[in-house]
Amino acid sequence: MSEKVLSGKNVIITGCARGIGKAMLENFAKHGANVWANARSMTPEFEARCAKLANKYGVQIIPLCFDLTNKLEMKSVVKFVMKSDLKVNVLVNNAGVNYNALHQLTAEAVLREQMEVNFFATFLFTQYIVKLMLRNGSGSVINVASSAALDATSGRAAYGASKAALLCATLALSKEVGAQGVRANIIAPGITETEMIGSMTDAVVADTVAGTDMLRIGSPSEIADVAVFLGSDLSSYITGQVFRVDGGM
Amino acid sequence: MLLSGKNAVVTGCLRGIGRKTLEKFAKQGANVWACAQHADEEFEKFCADLAQDTGTWVKPVYFDLTDFDAIKAGLKAIFADKQAVDVLVNVAGFTKDSIFHMTSMEQLKLIFEVNYFSQILISQYVTKLMVRQKCGSVINIASISGLDGSHGQLAYSSSKAALIGATRTMSRELAKQGVRVNAIAPGVIDTNMNSLVPEKVIAGHIKAMSIKRMGSSNEVANTILFLASDLSNYMTGQIIRVDGGIK
Repeated sequence: MSEKVLSGKNVIITGCARGIGKAMLENFAKHGANVWANARSMTPEFEARCAKLANKYGVQIIPLCFDLTNKLEMKSVVKFVMKSDLKVNVLVNNAGVNYNALHQLTAEAVLREQMEVNFFATFLFTQYIVKLMLRNGSGSVINVASSAALDATSGRAAYGASKAALLCATLALSKEVGAQGVRANIIAPGITETEMIGSMTDAVVADTVAGTDMLRIGSPSEIADVAVFLGSDLSSYITGQVFRVDGGM
Repeated sequence: MLLSGKNAVVTGCLRGIGRKTLEKFAKQGANVWACAQHADEEFEKFCADLAQDTGTWVKPVYFDLTDFDAIKAGLKAIFADKQAVDVLVNVAGFTKDSIFHMTSMEQLKLIFEVNYFSQILISQYVTKLMVRQKCGSVINIASISGLDGSHGQLAYSSSKAALIGATRTMSRELAKQGVRVNAIAPGVIDTNMNSLVPEKVIAGHIKAMSIKRMGSSNEVANTILFLASDLSNYMTGQIIRVDGGIK
């Protein structure tokens, strides 16, 4: 069983430019998957990184640069993926936006933007890709939510609600497509070492860490590894589940 | 390989999920103390062949979960090897189904003896060592009946619910000492345990699943592998349902 756990799998990961998505791109490649790596915009740095990882791990990495909220771009990207010789086996919806604000101070524009990216765009993209998976008769969808979707955290009313919406949709999807070979699960990261932490005050970070049993922040790679498991056949009998990757909160 | 260089204690290795876990662990590079209820020639040979094929060591250890002195002796033998114990998988367990009003206290106590008290005893001993090492992963095999309840499984479901409660508390107490504790709640799995369940009942369960089939021991073992490996380094206190999405 020296074969890599994702050998022969083709995976779409959204939001690969930084944070958890960046780690996912690397860890999926490391475990043998070919990846369509989405980022909002193509930069020389991103392109070079994709090429470097492809070379390092002997897999294909195809940049998919588009803005998830642009429906026309999304459609053309889906067409591009459809035309590929590679079948999509795994979709990881990782891209998301986060603004922290108290419920009473959340501006409508910010509320709508988070819903737009974290829920509507993700939902729509999933519709397109699951359609391809159903044609293949198999697939695994992994949606990245947040502990905020489960725990209702102060200052995260809008963000948590957008992720809770995603969670509900994912679980419903799992029931609808399970019989046809497509699985859908949620990862709910806790406090993770990404730019999102920058939006929190030091006191809030310290408080949150103190609230974890492991008393530390998780790394993007630790979140990515759980996605590797859910994308692989190791989890072939797991669907409709929420994986908290939070150091015990 | 996902478990290279790790040493694991696995209980219930004679058959079913335990046997599959033992096999998978060795193939992924782990050395295993393979615990089983009683000595068995076929089992001894299986362990020896597995070790040879995978270049690991596989040591049979025998104890009955109703005999606490035997458990302690078995664990002492393991500790006498002076090796680190990185993983503990509590698979061994049993059920004898009866409806609530027909469950005798004797039956209830016996099932708790095996499915709960012995598991705690083993975990106490092994995690003491893990705490000293400042690392380790404990995986308890519970059941969805411990979460959802199940007709005719008063004793079994409550023993598994108790194990789930213990998992959560152990995870909280041991996390800062580097020990992770998680549980798996298998659904309807194609093992001996379910061979006595009437076909009609199984068909009813399958109808309620998103993935319309029974699970395999192999699929449960794959999840155990995940929780034993470093892929789940930031996960503790979780109860993972491996149930095909049963309603």
